[in-house]
Amino acid sequence: MGLFDVFKTWRSTTRIKSLESSMQGRPTPGLYLQLADAHKEAGNSQKAAQVLKLGAARFPSAPEIIRRQAEAEKIERENEKKRLIEKIQTHPNPILYARLAELFKADNELEKTIDTCQKGIRAFPKYGGTYLVLGQIYVEKKQWQEAVTQLEKSVELDKYNYLALKLLAQVYMELTRPADAAQRLEDILYFAPGDEAILELLKKAKEKAGQPFETRKASMSGQHAATSANKSGEQSGVRKTIRIGKLQNQQRGGGTSERDKALNDGVIALRTVAGVTGAILVDQYGLVVAADLDSSIDEGLAGALITNVYRTASGNAVKLNVGTFEEGLIEGDKGNIHIVQLDEMILAVFAKSDVKMGLLEKSIRDFASNLMQQK
Amino acid sequence: MKDILAKLNKTNGVRGSMVVNRDGIVVHSDFSVEIQEKSVGAVSSSILAALEGALKRIDMGKFTRFVITGSEGKVAMVNAGQTILLVLLQPDINVGMVNVDIKEAAAAVLERSKM
Repeated sequence: MGLFDVFKTWRSTTRIKSLESSMQGRPTPGLYLQLADAHKEAGNSQKAAQVLKLGAARFPSAPEIIRRQAEAEKIERENEKKRLIEKIQTHPNPILYARLAELFKADNELEKTIDTCQKGIRAFPKYGGTYLVLGQIYVEKKQWQEAVTQLEKSVELDKYNYLALKLLAQVYMELTRPADAAQRLEDILYFAPGDEAILELLKKAKEKAGQPFETRKASMSGQHAATSANKSGEQSGVRKTIRIGKLQNQQRGGGTSERDKALNDGVIALRTVAGVTGAILVDQYGLVVAADLDSSIDEGLAGALITNVYRTASGNAVKLNVGTFEEGLIEGDKGNIHIVQLDEMILAVFAKSDVKMGLLEKSIRDFASNLMQQK
Repeated sequence: MKDILAKLNKTNGVRGSMVVNRDGIVVHSDFSVEIQEKSVGAVSSSILAALEGALKRIDMGKFTRFVITGSEGKVAMVNAGQTILLVLLQPDINVGMVNVDIKEAAAAVLERSKM
């Protein structure tokens, strides 16, 4: 590194520190833009994009910051599409198809979205996330009947999917089926109690259906409860492990990738830490990717509950003045739950109250590090 | 309540604190940084609903505390009976170091709210 480069690095670092210090006092849209530029000049585009994202969340009516953030996101999406297309060729898995379809959808490339979903469904017909993305497309096109078909399939495969259940309820309302909508909304309240948006929708659905506004207590609807009962035919206390590789084999006889193996091994390894009672990895659609839990815990329900807490906390982290969500620790009087955002997934580790925190945090960091290496 | 928050805020690494009731209404607040109090209060209430639901369904008992670590700081939400004590912390702070002060403050808030 030459003298000029040293000087340039020193100048960038000093400028970043000075801007960060100004932001501690009174952040403004201008400061966010300057800080993003400083990170970009320092060669850290990812950090620049992160700063713009935070700025846009804090100042949603500042036009320049919104424009710049949209530009940065578009570039990120294009890079991610290329990566996913390559990955699908070499190590296909259902989440990759759903994620790619979502990126096409974000850029309004509807034909490509539908095509990607259909390919994903053909390859992995038992993954609910892809049906959800396809359902979203039909909702955008106001093709309600097609949307119902896809969303009902998504919910059939994953009875705790918040987004699919909510969207299905909204489509039922469009089709003047308010009683069906109310049933789906009550299913959501089972794992997302007190969700104000859902309560509001439920109130409207019940009004239209001529039903009194009272929520069902602690149960899923009949069809869902039956599915749950069929699933839990194992002895209580028996450890149950879901493996993504195993799921793929069931779906299409494919082999497991190194990444899938890393996920499985990582989740199982976490369970070996003294005091840890289980671990679960959930994707961005709330679907369980890997889990190692006691059979007394329904992994689908655990995934939905964790996703709901994550969604509520991460969606409001900026309002709470802590920036973007990185991790959370929930403490109950019988144990605690660590929630960590990893890549585009959420890892939750269940532990007893007396777990050695330092050891657990190290194990989670090791797991994250392995996952990133696989990426 | 103000005296409890003022004492807690003197702890190294604490940027401010707030007492919110379960409906999200701010009872008292004391922050050294600019914050939208009503919005934070409402957010705390919805997070609490999600947390209590999760702990109940997974059978992990009563909610005691939730700590969120973000890119720009940390926030601790502590059960104080009919209210929640919310403490905003600096990003580099070790929560363990301020834990005792937060617990003491939550116990004092709980005691005071019984009066």
